[in-house]
Amino acid sequence: MNATASNEIVETQGRRQTILYAVAALLSLVGLADSIYLTVEHVSGRTVLCTIVSGCSEVLRSPYATIGSVPLALVGAVSYFTAFSLATLAAFGNMGAAKVLTVVTGLMFLVTLWLLYLQAFVIGSFCQFCLLSAAVTTGLLGIALIARRLSGQAINSP
Amino acid sequence: MRKYLPVIIILAVLAIAVGAGLYLLRPASTSEQAPVAPAGKPVAANPIAAAPGAVPPHSIGSEGAPVTIEEFGDFQCPPCATFHPVLKQIKSAYGPRVRVIFREFPLLPAHQHALSAARAAEAAGLQGKFWEMHDLIYENQRSWHESKDARPIFEEYAGRLGLNLDRFRKDVTSDLVQQRIFLDGKRGHSLGVKGTPTVFLNGRELPVESLAPDRLRARIDAELAATEK
Repeated sequence: MNATASNEIVETQGRRQTILYAVAALLSLVGLADSIYLTVEHVSGRTVLCTIVSGCSEVLRSPYATIGSVPLALVGAVSYFTAFSLATLAAFGNMGAAKVLTVVTGLMFLVTLWLLYLQAFVIGSFCQFCLLSAAVTTGLLGIALIARRLSGQAINSP
Repeated sequence: MRKYLPVIIILAVLAIAVGAGLYLLRPASTSEQAPVAPAGKPVAANPIAAAPGAVPPHSIGSEGAPVTIEEFGDFQCPPCATFHPVLKQIKSAYGPRVRVIFREFPLLPAHQHALSAARAAEAAGLQGKFWEMHDLIYENQRSWHESKDARPIFEEYAGRLGLNLDRFRKDVTSDLVQQRIFLDGKRGHSLGVKGTPTVFLNGRELPVESLAPDRLRARIDAELAATEK
């Protein structure tokens, strides 16, 4: 493979990475909006309305909805904002941020698994806003891993 | 400029996120919360200065008890049903040292059966069985909250409690029952109640976290210790 062709591959994969990180940034915004809504509902003590899955209020008023006195939804909002910032930086070519994004979304995914376990087996109710958050986190981790893989291929291409 | 663009985007999102959070946290208009109660801004956060609510209130325990717990509840609200056994345990554990007051605060239109449930409980109250109906409605919430029409179920509860059914059916739609719910709602609004369950312990609103059994006991113990000094 000649140098021009190899440069084209690197450029194409670079573009794909940029698009992937931009999508990750947008997805993080969905998670951020969801978490802000849940934080506000938690702090104000309002009854959260659910249309798909019942049990929002059971979940959000359960003892697992706080860490000490900090609402878990607020921790989620901070996490999504961090993911958004890292994805934005990565979309602009900051590969250090891309690496950290993979670690952060990996940790968020592990927490998500724990929260899904709590909803399914301990609280016995699901909250659709929490399920949306789980879907967003899973999507973010998927994108971060694919983008990292592309990055590895670009580096290894001849 | 391109160098600073990501930072600008990040800061803009931060500002929007914080702004949106603060905007959503502003006090909601009362008409969204409980249309059975009158519109108007909360006028007082002091339970004594606030609107009095239905008289006499539904209460267990003597007026002279050192600790008074006043709950604003909605029978269709799941956290209220979760809180119900907690409060029941508190009542049996503390006996005459704690007075419990229940106030109607049906959240409409979010909870379609909340008003029927409140009416059923109030109608039972007119035959001296408020707390029995209150317990039945909460303890069976899962069996009626998704039904199309919960009123026959509440009538069945009334029958189970040995109430005069003809009178119960009349009372459910009576002005007196409606007025009691209205007055409790008015008191809730005047205290700034926004959701359910909202609980006041000796006049101070408890944060949601304090409604966990151990934390509530700790609060009551602290209050009892303070009054016994």
